[in-house]
Amino acid sequence: MNVTTLRTKAESQLREQFDAAAEGLPGTGWVSTLRARAMDAFAAVGLPHRRIEEWKYTDLRERLRDVPAPRAAAATTINAADIDRALGPIAAIDADRIVLVDGAYSAELSKVTAEATVIELMSLAAMLKKAPSWLEGKFAADGGAVVALNTAFMSDGVLLKVRKDQDPVRPVLLVLARTAFEPSAIAVRNVISVEAGARFTLVEAHIALDGAARGALANIVTDVTLADGATCDHIKCLVDQTGSTHLATWNTSIGKNATYRGFQLTASPALARNDIAIRFAGEGGKLDLSGVFLARGAEHIDTTLVVDHAVPACESRELFKGVLDGRAHGIFQGKIIVRPDAQKTDGKQMSQALMLSPDAQFSSKPELEIYADDVVCGHGATCTEIDADLLFYCRSRGIPPDVARTMLTESFVGEAIEKIENEDVREAIGTLAIGWLRAK
Amino acid sequence: MKNGERGKELETRYVMLEIKNLHARIAEDGTEILKGIDLVVPKGEVHAIMGPNGSGKSTLAYVLAGRDDYEITEGDILWNGESILEMAPDERAAKGVFLAFQYPMEIPGVATMTFLRAALNSVRKKRGQKELTTPEFLKLVRAKAAELGVADEMLKRPLNVGFSGGEKKRMEILQMSVLEPTLCVLDETDSGLDIDAIRIVSEGTTKLRGPDRAMLVITHYQRLLNYIVPDKVHVLADGRIQKTGGKELALELEKSGYAGFIGKAA
Repeated sequence: MNVTTLRTKAESQLREQFDAAAEGLPGTGWVSTLRARAMDAFAAVGLPHRRIEEWKYTDLRERLRDVPAPRAAAATTINAADIDRALGPIAAIDADRIVLVDGAYSAELSKVTAEATVIELMSLAAMLKKAPSWLEGKFAADGGAVVALNTAFMSDGVLLKVRKDQDPVRPVLLVLARTAFEPSAIAVRNVISVEAGARFTLVEAHIALDGAARGALANIVTDVTLADGATCDHIKCLVDQTGSTHLATWNTSIGKNATYRGFQLTASPALARNDIAIRFAGEGGKLDLSGVFLARGAEHIDTTLVVDHAVPACESRELFKGVLDGRAHGIFQGKIIVRPDAQKTDGKQMSQALMLSPDAQFSSKPELEIYADDVVCGHGATCTEIDADLLFYCRSRGIPPDVARTMLTESFVGEAIEKIENEDVREAIGTLAIGWLRAK
Repeated sequence: MKNGERGKELETRYVMLEIKNLHARIAEDGTEILKGIDLVVPKGEVHAIMGPNGSGKSTLAYVLAGRDDYEITEGDILWNGESILEMAPDERAAKGVFLAFQYPMEIPGVATMTFLRAALNSVRKKRGQKELTTPEFLKLVRAKAAELGVADEMLKRPLNVGFSGGEKKRMEILQMSVLEPTLCVLDETDSGLDIDAIRIVSEGTTKLRGPDRAMLVITHYQRLLNYIVPDKVHVLADGRIQKTGGKELALELEKSGYAGFIGKAA
């Protein structure tokens, strides 16, 4: 029997946009083929919807009615001061800076002081145009519909490598700035490689400049590979005020005895879906993943992660905290897979939401798939209002109720933010989160 | 001073705390805990409240601080002649009421210093005093912390998180000395402490004894009262003050226990 799949309006728009844009996207030869195949792969499944388990709470088919067109390359008239203003407290972090404006690498606004023997940096668009054969292997074929769309539409991004045993010391701040006055879509792909024994701190800041249009769509995919003994701190922050849709995917592979510490702050997009896929590729790997999601009004923030303990003796920790007000919906789905060989796995997961309104909603779905027998794995989830005992304690010290509530809410998210190692980054993220909480 | 002399003096001395026929029940299920407490603490005095478990000691402490888990069904609490029943806990704190908790709360993500500063500036504001500048505040806290053997490093850590039992109680006394209350209520401050910790906490408390301050020391055991010597001892059982005496009453109780009072209550 033949089944004709009906396309939604958005799915048709995406196909039309691709056909119109394909010519202008960077790369020919295998790159064009890769894009076309990715578009076909997307078209075969369409936008993810609620009948797909991982998308149960975030039905993109329902929510993405209209897809804005890809941003056409335009001359940028913005300067470093504009970027600083939009970055707010993040601008104060002492870091090398890489800036992408509307999905295109800006050489003018980027400044990396680290020697090329420490950090190797290339624009993805430039490399796609050259299309060396080694690059082809960087694009996985099975990343799902959102990653397929990214592969089809990717306009630029960074290829960044921290060389073996090197430590640039200063973090790299990767700024993804939007300036477009018309709602538009951007697709950026970053490929980060931390070589054996190297150390790296990467801060991704997603910002909208003054006057940027509401209702933009961003699809950002970041692949991170940690070689043996590497250490990487990866922090992402999005504090949106433009009703945007943010689809972000992290694919991280952790080598033998490597350590990956990830953190995500997501505040006030209209819709965000943070997909995080972590795979342990060598024994003795360590993962410490945390995040804070802040939503009010009708905002919707979904964090979905899969931690794959594919090898023995690895340790994973996850702590995600949400503050939900208004009619906001926060989602946390966390799957931990422990493969049959992965003995001595130590995995712990916790998700917690603080509800500031009776109409807010928190959906938490922890999943443990354990196929090995000598493992320690645990998960927990809580969904609470501000603790009455704590509130009384604060008030008994003279602290008025509104101040006490703010303090306790900050305390709640502070527990996750404290996990950020770099002090500058921790303070900047803390300031952003507190700013959001106090902006009620 | 002999007891007789004090008795005479009491009537003429200024009464700071007066609890009149206080009845309180648990708001949630209506269980009556306090069944008519009468208690008077004059200015400058330290009174001990002793009693068996479940007698209502902690409830009395919470009710004084204004916890809303309890309903006052009868009676009144007067502080300097003014009823505080309708006041919120933070208003009471501004009026000078301080409760040192039996189980101090942990507040992750809020540095002890930050908490202390928010508390002090809140009460100063309500008391019509100027808020302290950062250097003034640091100087004040560091001096008081040093007296109590609280390390600087502890002040930077989130409040009470990972503190030992003794450290938590010391932190309560530090908060008390920073906020300079006029009514100090200490709820089982000695529970879970070893002798050294009791000594530090008691010394800190004793330093706060003064002519303008009243204290209620709630305890199950007599030992704390060796260090904080009370002017009066009240025995609380079954929600009422069953007996009042001098500090020697505490020693008597240590020997005879509370059995007589429990029997009486039942």
